Amino acid sequence: MKSAPFSYERPESVQQALEILDQHGGMARILAGGQSLAPMLQMRLMQLSAVVDINRLPGLDEIRAEGGVTAFGPLVRYAAIARSPLVSERLPLLGHVVRYVGDPQVRNRGTLAGSLAQADPTGEMPVACLALDATIVASSVSGAREIGIDEFLVGSYATALEPEEMLTEVRFPVVPDSFVFLERNRKHNDFAVINIAVVGRRGSGGSWSALRIALGGVNDRAVLAAGAAQLLEGSTLEDDRIEQAAQSALEVVDPPSDVRGSAEYRLHLVPVYVRRALSMLRDGTEGGYA
Amino acid sequence: MPEHVEVTINVNGRDYRRTVEARLHLADFLRHELGLTGTHVGCEQGVCGNCTVLVDGQAIKSCLMFTAQADGQRVTTVESMADDDELHPLQQAFKDAHALQCGYCTPGFLMAATAIAAEGRRLSRDEIREQLAGVICRCTGYSNIVTAVERYLDDVCGVERIDG
Repeated sequence: MKSAPFSYERPESVQQALEILDQHGGMARILAGGQSLAPMLQMRLMQLSAVVDINRLPGLDEIRAEGGVTAFGPLVRYAAIARSPLVSERLPLLGHVVRYVGDPQVRNRGTLAGSLAQADPTGEMPVACLALDATIVASSVSGAREIGIDEFLVGSYATALEPEEMLTEVRFPVVPDSFVFLERNRKHNDFAVINIAVVGRRGSGGSWSALRIALGGVNDRAVLAAGAAQLLEGSTLEDDRIEQAAQSALEVVDPPSDVRGSAEYRLHLVPVYVRRALSMLRDGTEGGYA
Repeated sequence: MPEHVEVTINVNGRDYRRTVEARLHLADFLRHELGLTGTHVGCEQGVCGNCTVLVDGQAIKSCLMFTAQADGQRVTTVESMADDDELHPLQQAFKDAHALQCGYCTPGFLMAATAIAAEGRRLSRDEIREQLAGVICRCTGYSNIVTAVERYLDDVCGVERIDG
């Protein structure tokens, strides 16, 4: 299908982009990679008065390191994340997870910021950003505000971003160095049935801290299993503790039934994947499709 | 309201200036405005990859790029490949390996493979599959497509293949 008509705007600055968003009163959207926006428009799931193309604005594709903070501009594409030495050094989970997004053509265009703004409940980026405790910077003509990723993800394809706001930066703090990411798909490159990212820090005595467990595909948004992670804090991830955490993770999920899997199937998968991911974290095994 | 946009786009080495609707995607521009019907449209939602072309050397799905975005850029389509009746070596590799049946997806695979070859690196069959995963074929089952690309990479990279 073809998109409904819209006007095409190519602002000269972020400020001008924000003014255009403001003028259109919620009926304009930022066009970065377009890998979600173009399908939404062409499937007529969205009709806009204007599309604001930021692709020619300089500097928005930069990944910056400032002290402990690593910050991504709104035009940082998956392909750039995948080959960034800065990302592999500071945010290895993120560098690993981009390979699960779409396919090479999509990764050449699609952006981290766009994926977060899209907030697909099965998307890999929201899960990774939850595990990594990202902060979103949302800007409008009235200024900028910071939103924690857990508050940012509101529901299925819904975020705390106001229609007149632009996602101008994604920031990450210093993160624990150990991680595991697992994803189950019906077929290669399909949307996930379930995905999970766990991070943590192993102390010299073998006890674990700073654990975070994020799950996708099992609720109307990516969710953090904070209670489950709390149960494991200071432990050596013994099997029985992992089992407790796996059961506890069920408290934060409410899986949908859809063409990719029933709610019952996903409920079955949650403890299986939490158990698997945590055991792999403990044993230092690399994640993948499972 | 700029619902129409004037663009100048270089396609296969030639500049085209047109005024187009803002909503016109690049695949429709190539086909309907320029008559370059080698770029095929399958799903128009970024799933099938049959509309893959190169924009400034990068493989992209042309149904997910609005024409206005390609203003001032260099687009390469399947029409750039053959020289009259003489197939490009990559096309010849597809023919020799029986890597097409109905041929609908072939331009997408050829452009995706062109981007792979531009990296100048030989790849294992698994790596080729991963790199071609953005294009869907419903006839041949991919094996022969992977073989064609593998043989072509062997030729252009000029080294003996190591199975991986």
